[in-house]
Amino acid sequence: MIQTASVSVLLQVALPNAARPAVVAVGILYFAVVLGISVWAARRTRTARDFFVAGKGIGLVALTVASVSVSVSGFAFIGGPGFIYAVGLGAMYIVLPAAVTNVMGAWVLAKRMRLLGEARALITIPDAIGARYRSRAAQGLSAVAILVGIVGYMATNALAMGVVINSIFGVGLGWGIWIGMGVTLAYSASGGILAGIYNDVFQGTLMAVASVLVFLFVLNFGGGLGEISRTILAHEPTFLGPWGKLTPLAALSFFFVFSMGSLGQPQAVHKYYMLRDPLQLKWYPLLKTLGLVLVLLLYFSVGVGVKAFVLSGRLAPLASPDQATPALLLNVTPIILAALVFSGVAAATMSAANSFINIGAAVVTHDLPVAFGRRVTNELRWGRTVTVLIAIAAAITAQRSGTMVAFLGIFGWGLFASTLVPALAVGLNWQGATRAGAMASIATGLIVTLGLETAAYWKAFTFPAGVTASAVAMVSSFLVFFIVSWLTRRTAPTQIDPDVRLVMEI
Amino acid sequence: MPPASEDATRRAALVALFIGIAAIAAGYATAFSAGKTPAWAAWLLALGIPVALAAIMILGAARGRRGIGPLKIPFAFVALVLVIGFGAALALPATEGPLSTLWLGLPARAAIVIYGVGLLPIVVLPIAYALTFETQTLSAEDVERVRVLARENQAAIENGTREPMDNQRRG
Repeated sequence: MIQTASVSVLLQVALPNAARPAVVAVGILYFAVVLGISVWAARRTRTARDFFVAGKGIGLVALTVASVSVSVSGFAFIGGPGFIYAVGLGAMYIVLPAAVTNVMGAWVLAKRMRLLGEARALITIPDAIGARYRSRAAQGLSAVAILVGIVGYMATNALAMGVVINSIFGVGLGWGIWIGMGVTLAYSASGGILAGIYNDVFQGTLMAVASVLVFLFVLNFGGGLGEISRTILAHEPTFLGPWGKLTPLAALSFFFVFSMGSLGQPQAVHKYYMLRDPLQLKWYPLLKTLGLVLVLLLYFSVGVGVKAFVLSGRLAPLASPDQATPALLLNVTPIILAALVFSGVAAATMSAANSFINIGAAVVTHDLPVAFGRRVTNELRWGRTVTVLIAIAAAITAQRSGTMVAFLGIFGWGLFASTLVPALAVGLNWQGATRAGAMASIATGLIVTLGLETAAYWKAFTFPAGVTASAVAMVSSFLVFFIVSWLTRRTAPTQIDPDVRLVMEI
Repeated sequence: MPPASEDATRRAALVALFIGIAAIAAGYATAFSAGKTPAWAAWLLALGIPVALAAIMILGAARGRRGIGPLKIPFAFVALVLVIGFGAALALPATEGPLSTLWLGLPARAAIVIYGVGLLPIVVLPIAYALTFETQTLSAEDVERVRVLARENQAAIENGTREPMDNQRRG
């Protein structure tokens, strides 16, 4: 969730220098734990399956915490509270879908993805699309869509890491990018997804603890949610209206894109392959939803709390909305709590980057060769090599042009949603979906997202209030998927292999 | 739209999903076509989103001709919560002010959205998923059926009597 906006926010925000001894000490401790986990994981990574899907051997709790960790980027800690501070409760429509997305993903995708992994030893999302439609072309096209989205995410996450590490250690943005990417690369290349998962567990736990502590602190400092609301209502009642300062259409668009779109986010969907025992899926949605609620407490409490503290004069007015979290941490909370949150933000960005590096490496070394009817002879070695190349390319891109990185960061979530949701989420549950429908839908998502985002970014086109490229691309992709599948429906029964049909019928 | 063999529940869910997405698309289309977005465009999303989300969950949960069994209650409940939550936010007058009555610390319309839309589904859906998991989602027998088929496929491939499935006549 929430990756897209993270970067545009982190790009604009120059986080204040937080380099206090406690913050630096906790930061160093954090990096030491990450490296320790990485060394442990590297010793257990021997095959490509270990590298890309952790040998299908992750337990329920570890997978749940890891999934929470990759679902939430630094936006939940920095950009999100700032967004609430700026527009009021309308910003909550980005996170409210968490109430339904995890269980929706479990019903729609988790069982079928996990069973496909069992039946075919699949390791990637394009694998699932290729198997479902019996089509290398569909697998290749979805791989290209994922790769395009990852290019944007990686560059922006690299820059976000640089911003956060510079804030913690005061080393400068350039060194911050290389240090962050270097550490992420160390565990991505050596331990693959196994290192990523167990680092995610550590990082997710850190994020949840920091979020709950900040939530409790804000409520205590503000005299409870009622007092906080009273202060805001006395000055800016619109802030606590159901849409905040957004239009209803804009707020509802957020809800649509971040609910339905969650079914196409590879960093979360990919995790379904990794659960050791498929029957453990029973408790996965409940645990993940509770974990997400804990991590998102900070998002709500800081956004609303800081607004009240500024309005009541207990906190100086902010230079920009994105300073909401840093201003609270560095001026009001105990320094150790600030240290935890800053490390939590670093954790969030590194966790997301690791996940995308791994998925990108799988696309390059596995999906694209398969699409052309070839197999890489040593996927583990090439997986590690491509991991290094992706990380270096992302770090270099992040250093070169803020404008370009901002552009790349805009479309990730929407691109994944519009290209993957109909073909994957609906396609795995509807035997009438066809190969032509899937490919037309993926192509539509890719073209509409890139076309509209490019036109809007370069101001060649202005969206009506409340409409976003992501939302338009997703509905277009859905409609094309339905219409083309209906037009080509005679081909549908011949395009499903018996084992895939069994998985779809269970 | 679905082939004749598709069961009734999935067929209904697909039609509902299509209608929900079409309603959302119509909401956006009005925003593009009119000079100013009409108020009812938001209503199209407020109705289309719950319909689409409930429909795709039903599509995923439907189990052959058994349909969704007891899950119809939680699905209906969540769709209703979303419709009422969005509808109340759109329809109720904006009365937020210093003297507003607070519901669990928030003014009424905000409380409906945050606690209703944001928290009520959490209490219902994941619990319903867990309670119906063996009967509605996945049983040990289901997993074994898939594993048996996978072993048969693997044996046939190793014996050379069958091509690997993922290399069969692909387009």
